[in-house]
Amino acid sequence: MAISIAAEWEVLNNRYYRKQEIYTMCWNSVDLSRHKVACSKFGGPVAMVRDESKMVQLKAESARAKLLLFTSSGKLLSSVPWDRPGGRLIALGWTDEEVLLAVVHDGTIFQYNIHGELIPEQLSLGQECWNQGVAECIIWGSGLVVLTEQNQLFSIPNLETQTVVKLADPLLEDPPHCMAVVEPQYTLSGNLEVLLAVGSSVLMVDAENVRNQMVDFGPIQKMTLSSNGNLLACFTHDGRLLVVYPDFSKSLLEHLTESALPPEQLVWCGVDSVLLYWEEELVMVGPYGDAVRWAYDEPIVLIPECDGVRILSNTFMEFLRRVPDSTVSIFKIGSTSPAAMLFDALEQFDKRSAKADENIRLISDKLPDAVGDCIDAAGHEFDISLQRTLLRAAAYGRAFCRKFDRDQFQDMCRTLRVLNAVRQFEIGIPLSIQQFKDLTAPVLIARLVNAHRHLLALRISEYLDLSKEVVLVHWACTKIIASSDVPDSVLLELLLEKLKACPGISYATVAADAHRNGRQKLAALLLDYEPRASEQVPLLTSMGEGERALVKAIESGDTNLVYFSILHLWRQRPLPEFFRIVQAKTLARNLFIAYARQNDPEILKKFFISIGQIQSAAEVFLKESWSFSRSIGNRSGSALQGPRLKTIDQAADLYAQTKEHMFERAAAEEQGKLLKLQQEFEISTGQLIFVDSSVSDTIRTLITLGNHRAAQRVKVDFKVPDKRFYWLKVFALATAKQWEALEKFSKEKKPPIGYKPFVEACIEEEENAEALKYIAKLTDPQERAEAYARIGMEKEATEAAAQAKDSELLGRLKITFGQNTAAGALFDTLRDRLSLT
Amino acid sequence: MAQLPNLDNAPINISSLREQAQRDLGEALDSMRGRKVLVLDPFLSGPLALIAQTSFLKEHGVEQLYHVSADPVQSECKNVLYLVRPRIPLMRQIAAHIQQDNRQQLQKSYSVFFMPRRTIVCEKVLEEEGVIGNVTIRECPLYFIPFDEDVLSLELERSFKETKVEGDTSSLWYIARAIYRLQELYGVIPNVKGKGKAASQVSDILVRMQREQPPPLPSSVKPPEIDTLLLIDRQVDMVTPMCSQLTYEGVIDEFININNGAVELEPSIMGAQPNAQASTRKVKVPLNSSDKLFRELRDLNFAVVGQVLRQKAVSIKQDYSDVTSAENQSISDVKDFVKKLNVLPEITRHVNIAQHLSKFTTKQTFLSRLSMEQTLVEGENYDASFTYVEEMIHKQEQIESVLRLLILLSVTNNGLPKKHFDYLRRELLHSYGFEHMFTLSNLETAGLLIKQETKSNWQAVKKGLKLIPEENDDINPNDISYVFSGYAPLSIRLVQSALRGDWRQSEIIRLLPGSAFERYEKNQEVNTIRRETTSPTESGPGTDARRLIVLVIFIGGVTFAEISALRFLESQEDMKYDFMVATTKLINGTTLVKSLIDDPSAS
Repeated sequence: MAISIAAEWEVLNNRYYRKQEIYTMCWNSVDLSRHKVACSKFGGPVAMVRDESKMVQLKAESARAKLLLFTSSGKLLSSVPWDRPGGRLIALGWTDEEVLLAVVHDGTIFQYNIHGELIPEQLSLGQECWNQGVAECIIWGSGLVVLTEQNQLFSIPNLETQTVVKLADPLLEDPPHCMAVVEPQYTLSGNLEVLLAVGSSVLMVDAENVRNQMVDFGPIQKMTLSSNGNLLACFTHDGRLLVVYPDFSKSLLEHLTESALPPEQLVWCGVDSVLLYWEEELVMVGPYGDAVRWAYDEPIVLIPECDGVRILSNTFMEFLRRVPDSTVSIFKIGSTSPAAMLFDALEQFDKRSAKADENIRLISDKLPDAVGDCIDAAGHEFDISLQRTLLRAAAYGRAFCRKFDRDQFQDMCRTLRVLNAVRQFEIGIPLSIQQFKDLTAPVLIARLVNAHRHLLALRISEYLDLSKEVVLVHWACTKIIASSDVPDSVLLELLLEKLKACPGISYATVAADAHRNGRQKLAALLLDYEPRASEQVPLLTSMGEGERALVKAIESGDTNLVYFSILHLWRQRPLPEFFRIVQAKTLARNLFIAYARQNDPEILKKFFISIGQIQSAAEVFLKESWSFSRSIGNRSGSALQGPRLKTIDQAADLYAQTKEHMFERAAAEEQGKLLKLQQEFEISTGQLIFVDSSVSDTIRTLITLGNHRAAQRVKVDFKVPDKRFYWLKVFALATAKQWEALEKFSKEKKPPIGYKPFVEACIEEEENAEALKYIAKLTDPQERAEAYARIGMEKEATEAAAQAKDSELLGRLKITFGQNTAAGALFDTLRDRLSLT
Repeated sequence: MAQLPNLDNAPINISSLREQAQRDLGEALDSMRGRKVLVLDPFLSGPLALIAQTSFLKEHGVEQLYHVSADPVQSECKNVLYLVRPRIPLMRQIAAHIQQDNRQQLQKSYSVFFMPRRTIVCEKVLEEEGVIGNVTIRECPLYFIPFDEDVLSLELERSFKETKVEGDTSSLWYIARAIYRLQELYGVIPNVKGKGKAASQVSDILVRMQREQPPPLPSSVKPPEIDTLLLIDRQVDMVTPMCSQLTYEGVIDEFININNGAVELEPSIMGAQPNAQASTRKVKVPLNSSDKLFRELRDLNFAVVGQVLRQKAVSIKQDYSDVTSAENQSISDVKDFVKKLNVLPEITRHVNIAQHLSKFTTKQTFLSRLSMEQTLVEGENYDASFTYVEEMIHKQEQIESVLRLLILLSVTNNGLPKKHFDYLRRELLHSYGFEHMFTLSNLETAGLLIKQETKSNWQAVKKGLKLIPEENDDINPNDISYVFSGYAPLSIRLVQSALRGDWRQSEIIRLLPGSAFERYEKNQEVNTIRRETTSPTESGPGTDARRLIVLVIFIGGVTFAEISALRFLESQEDMKYDFMVATTKLINGTTLVKSLIDDPSAS
């Protein structure tokens, strides 16, 4: 068995290559040579459209061109008429998302999904391109470049953003011999670069510049970049194959072929050898310039992959690749590597031969490596029985290892199960393990889902412990589209049954899809199952259910969502209706008010009046009146206070409309009255110190200025109680140090608040002598005691307290004095002592 | 800049919370490559100083630091990174900066990071100002900021006003989110209790969040570290913050304002020589448990602090004379002494602070205010209280301190009789200006200054919860009432009651506004699975000795005195719990009242 495996290998210098048949194509009578063919990388689908430049045999084919889509195993996915306008089909190609791009002569790009359905979104390369007509086009996984018939280059470097970029004008009269693309991810600048073979040299063109690379070995007839972007293969007019760095700085290989005609296809196999295909002959040139050839009696298409090349012919899908080291070490003829010994040991063991044990002993210390190699080799294998044998060998060897990482073995089994499942004929995705690792499991799942292989995708997700959400959501959306005649309630049940298997799944996404497909009711029903308000609310809003969105937002308690709904409703609905909606919900109302207060006081007034909350509208007016005040730099003159007074009046009028707000109304009126009065004072005194001060402050200011009559007027006008007036006057006089006036005032009549204010005012101004005059007049001995205490007259204080027979007070005084003296002194001494640090 | 608070002794590992915050902040800064200018929301610089030091900003490429203001950012730097709360006025200022740069044709790139998250409203303002295309908008999801080993705060200074006056419940969502994020670190908290409207709202939002985005699967989560979450709506107890705090930390806060875990003091207070050429710049003194002496003093009644400091000083003095007098001291004795000397700077610092404070606390006005507060809380002498407040207004005393007492008066009496209500409001407007119409309206909406409609049940609450215990000892306390020298804070009585577990049935608690609720996280399967998966040694008898952790969240703010009361409870022998305190903002009566004062000419 081992011998037969290595017998198929080809040797190029020290490297082994292996070409294996993976599928016998199950399509019938497809002739690749008559079609434009596009094969998606990573074992993806094959698309073809009849090539109009070839002759058509009327008998054999229908006259109408068709777009045919197959799996890599040749299973028909879809067949649709090819009848796109825009002229000749220039190029077909797949994106990384498995969208088929078809570029036609006028620069229009049609997009198809894997089911042959035209994606409504149409791309175009623009007017200029339309005028010039497309001559050639290169499509890669995430972008494309076209060359027009007037030798201009246009590109869409990133299909996600879809912006068309016109590259610098290479100023060519004749079309280039050939062109190649350096994808943005492989360039230093991060921008797309296009290589054009012109004359004997090569031009490098990007968005801004054209640079001649000063190549001397041209003219180049064909160029291809390796899949990692590191190397460029060129075929020259004199039949040489050269491998150079993409910047042409160094040539690594030169190989003279037997043909001066350029090959039909020039493709990299992995990263170290190059394939050239002429009709009926395929040549592989290895890294050291040696070559192998194969004859093909039918047309083939070479599909480069990261680790090899797939070869599609009318009857087979083959995979050509370098043989992995682990496989070489096991199956190379005459190999005595530990892995080979281990593999042999298993065979001996199966034969019940004692040689098995001998083998194991021979490799004892290298056993873990041998096991690792067997596992690795199993991974590279397409043949399931061979995978099994290799894994059994690994398992056998592992039993003799003291320590071996279990996970490695288990991971490989898991990966192989997935790979074998997708490689099955019906699915037709011939991924190698390396391709699978590059592609990653989530992308594979997305591709399966895209191909409507939901069940398999779900199984794989479960098996690999990945989120099932992607699969289930896609399934549900597909189901909705496919079930246009199923009643909402039945469909809902169907969907829920599956979706509930995945807690936390986004019902909103499914609902959004139902909505897009015209199933409003179903969308609404589904949305009720969505626990995330942040998903629910925007969708409901876009479905035109703004009010329900608002309710859901309020339920969530997330004010940001409530604002989202409010702002939408505000934009969409007539103002009265908007007010009605907002008014009905407390949180919405509060938030709207808070927002409008800061942004739009006018609308707030309208709102309050329309909902009959007059007093709040009045408050807005009142607040506005203050905005006139300090914003005005020079506030003199009555003219400037005019608008202010007017808004105050408006507020007062509004307050007057309800009975409950008498207090506010009176206050607003007084506010106006005060402002007028203060203006008068400012004019009469010529001092701008009244406006914006309070009633009490005004009185104090007037008294300090000695204008007692005006002060009296304010007292009367504003019905200031005697008590307050006394406090104000006493303090004002004391501040102005008018001690005589103060004394006179104290004797005017018996003060309604006693002599306490006089005492306090004097003490505050630190006029203890004045204070004493009034302390004596204090009737309450307790107050007297405290007053004496405040000016530090300990003895008098104690006497008064004794007179008051207030033992509590006495005690307190003792403490107070104690703290003032003893404790204070103690702190001082403490401080002194500590200053030794 | 001061050192970050030491979090090593926290009951749960909140260092990881701070590390997470640092990571978030670092990512935000790094998202903009190269050198950059950081323009901060003025309200954020304090909290951020608790997360990272200036060097951290430098390491992440910050060259210059500005505050967002109306003035343009004067910098050559091409990268401008704004880190702001989602507030509309800031958006206008940012827009103005960008518009000005555009006029001068300066090519700069701008990033705006919203903390803790972007909002549609702010984006709309940027859009209306026509600058949304110029900025990259991102989020910096920083919620709880560790202030100390047992204190977390969201530092949302507008939270109380927004929730209770404007009816904007955004901050409740933030709290729920913050709890949700805590749970990602410390596991789902199995017991949730709460009292008050905002508390039940937060709980509802949290339940919803957990349903929307179920917490991670049991395999990846450790058993929950926090046993109970206790949510308390500040509105349930507006009495406590209005009273003057009498713990050491509380008194510091009342008189010299603790901001973001530090106070700023005149150098002369801190014992600097007046003649020295020292700058007049204020000295920043961090106040947290990294300061061992402060840790010892902070929760004591201020009356005791002087005494304790004196003892400490005397003992050092004694040791000093021992060391100097006796010749046959062993090296280790000297070494012990030197070790003791290390606390000397701390003692000096607190002697200075305490002495400074005693200037205020010995004032007659302060003492009479204290006795009036006591009278108000006892609620048995309405007339005297009314006259006292009236006089304060007539004397035009500081409006915040007037309002504190007025609120006490209104809350304990369930409002003022109509005649007094209108009279005092009018006197207020006359004394302080008509602009306070809006302040009054705010207070009324928040239920803090209202017209009396029904009889007050304060007496029943006071008796039922023993708010005024018969005996109070400030020096050797046996009850939390020592933090207010005779009044046991209602909020902490609620905590006690909730932990006793009898509170849903309690008639007394029903008298307070808002419902009292209790739920056990239904995630039972998760909990049981967790228990099964943990190894037997972990769930063995050893763990029973560990005290359960209760996270008490005060929605709308908490005072230092209340935190001290909780620490006092924690220190009691029969206590089974350790407390973590979290809040929207560390407050005192004055700052809370200030947030409700509306100045219409400011905006």
